[in-house]
Amino acid sequence: MGNNEKLAVKAVAALLVGIVVTFALLVMVPSGNAIPAFSRKYQTSCTTCHNNYPELNDFGLAFKKNGFKFPKDDEIFVKQEPVMLGSKAQKEAFPGAVYPGEIPGTIPIAFRYEGNFVWNAEQPPPVVTTGYVPRTDLFVPNTFTIISAGSFGPNFSFWIDDDISAGGSGANGGLGDAYLKYNDLGHIFHLPTNALNVRFGQFELDLPFTQARTPYLTGYDIFSEGTMAQGPACGGSVTVCGTTNNPFVLGLPQRGIEFGGSPNNGNFVWSVAYVDGTNSAYGLNTALVTRNTKDVYLHTSYQFNLERDPESRHGIQAAGATGPHDHTSIRVGAFYYHGTNQQNFGGSIYPFTGTINDPFYRVGGEVRFRYRSKFELYGVGMHGHDSNHLVDTVAGTVTSTNAVTFTGGFAAANYWIFPWLIATMRYDFVNSPSDWINGASESPTRNRFSPGYTILVRANIKIIGEYDHYWGVPFFPNGAISPSFYRPNTFITGIDYAF
Amino acid sequence: MKLVHAAVKAAVVSSSVLLLAGASLAGEIKGKVSVQGIKSAENIAVYVDAIPGAKFEAPTTKPVMDQAKMTFVPHVMVVQVGTTVEFLNSDPVGHNVYWPSISGNKKLAHNMGTWPKGEKKGFQFNDVGVAPLLCNVHPEMSGYIVVSPTPYFALTDKNGDFEIKNVPAGKYTLKTWSEEGKVTTQTVEVGAGTVTADLAVKK
Repeated sequence: MGNNEKLAVKAVAALLVGIVVTFALLVMVPSGNAIPAFSRKYQTSCTTCHNNYPELNDFGLAFKKNGFKFPKDDEIFVKQEPVMLGSKAQKEAFPGAVYPGEIPGTIPIAFRYEGNFVWNAEQPPPVVTTGYVPRTDLFVPNTFTIISAGSFGPNFSFWIDDDISAGGSGANGGLGDAYLKYNDLGHIFHLPTNALNVRFGQFELDLPFTQARTPYLTGYDIFSEGTMAQGPACGGSVTVCGTTNNPFVLGLPQRGIEFGGSPNNGNFVWSVAYVDGTNSAYGLNTALVTRNTKDVYLHTSYQFNLERDPESRHGIQAAGATGPHDHTSIRVGAFYYHGTNQQNFGGSIYPFTGTINDPFYRVGGEVRFRYRSKFELYGVGMHGHDSNHLVDTVAGTVTSTNAVTFTGGFAAANYWIFPWLIATMRYDFVNSPSDWINGASESPTRNRFSPGYTILVRANIKIIGEYDHYWGVPFFPNGAISPSFYRPNTFITGIDYAF
Repeated sequence: MKLVHAAVKAAVVSSSVLLLAGASLAGEIKGKVSVQGIKSAENIAVYVDAIPGAKFEAPTTKPVMDQAKMTFVPHVMVVQVGTTVEFLNSDPVGHNVYWPSISGNKKLAHNMGTWPKGEKKGFQFNDVGVAPLLCNVHPEMSGYIVVSPTPYFALTDKNGDFEIKNVPAGKYTLKTWSEEGKVTTQTVEVGAGTVTADLAVKK
């Protein structure tokens, strides 16, 4: 093998390691937040809203949908009186006076820390030389999050969270959600309560299952999937290449405005968001997308409540012989995201042509079965489609070509052995021929199995663990032309507490 | 066997007669409970412990233990054994009432389930001891029902003062129960007037 070939092999190996690291970064999104600020406000335990924080139980979902307020007679439960910004009687003076509002009586701030012990599978020697990962690592990721959330009176609510230590000591933080929401806008149109709400700012889309507030240590692969045209980018000896180079992933926060609602006891949920496209990655603090186009996201779902007793069925939680619990239910839903990726502004990459627009969409469905507060089974299936163009840098042409597509999803099951001991299991898969050809995996479909556990030491402290059995990742043994494969499996376990 | 039954019956009748006779000489026990290492002297149950041979009819009144604003109200309730306590839910959220034991006896654990706002469920406490009341969806909620073996009991006020009226004359063991302190006992001799009994409860 000549020097050039060796260099080429090393370059390919470095590219592969880069892909793996990128996947790891995208997958290891610091999970979101439980809100001790609400515990203080209502003097209630985390378990009122979470069976396994930050995942919400039926009451927590109703609380969130209602603008971070108890679904009925909120005032009587508030133990920290708010500060009135004008008396209620000022309403009658409007528009001759500022409409009265309120702010929380104490600063609604909470904190969360997550630190994990990580065990990594042994890397083959060529991978070690290009991208060494220690076999064991203590407290990685080491994340400290600040959260502020609450309500400004009966209609306005807000949420801000920032992983201020994401990426390590001194690194830039990552703003998660930062939005203001107005509940029950539909009241003026005589619509049912909370049938029409609106929120502005930066927020995670109304995903079928939250990526930011997943109870797992790693995010869902399908929500972290970006798209790349197969083959190398143009440059050097490469003169013909695909244009799809879309870093958009569904699971990251967006900036925009969202209309949505949850009438019919929250059984029917809908949302339509008009957004900027993927905003920024946690910890990176840089825009992944710079473009002028705006995207649209739609999501709707319906919950079929399987409780037999009508009173129980219509309650916020079901009434059982041993106490309230989550409704036994099946939720089904569908979502659609449409956007247009843009590149080559002002001919910056290909001077012979103008801006290249590559429309794309993501479409999928969800299903979730819940049996009381004991067991849940849920999953998502999604299809991605990115329009693609073929650029010939010699001929100076841009022509339409086959789209870049992928399909995938996940299935997850959680079982509460005790209220404080939860067994978890997840299966993620992504079928992406482009990723496979680009060297991300051994076969077109990437599979990951993730059995795990959660131990709630206290309502606000948990020990969590997860073993991730990854797909085969190609590497090139010294001197080899054909790739070999290894699985970068990991075992992660650590502590997570909020206060 | 008949002889045994007759003897027991005679003993019960004689003790009832004695109590009735004593009732004509009923007095009261007044006192103060001081605390050491405990935040407050309020809500400490003080009661006359079991009187050998004495038997009391279960009261017909049904005290109410409420769940309001996500708290048990009152926090501590003292009842005579055999009393039916009614549990009310005054909140617009689902609550549950259960106790994992009575005075540590897990065989006496009971789960009342859940019921809507404004409705009540009753339970007759036939075992002497303390039932710690819990709600399995709001773990911050707690209350206590102290089941006294006699109808002679009181609950201290915020100063630790208590008063037990209509106690028949006799020599009794006065007992305390508090959420944080140890059980204290003291012998008292009740006559026609007021007898003072000051007790100290330590953590």
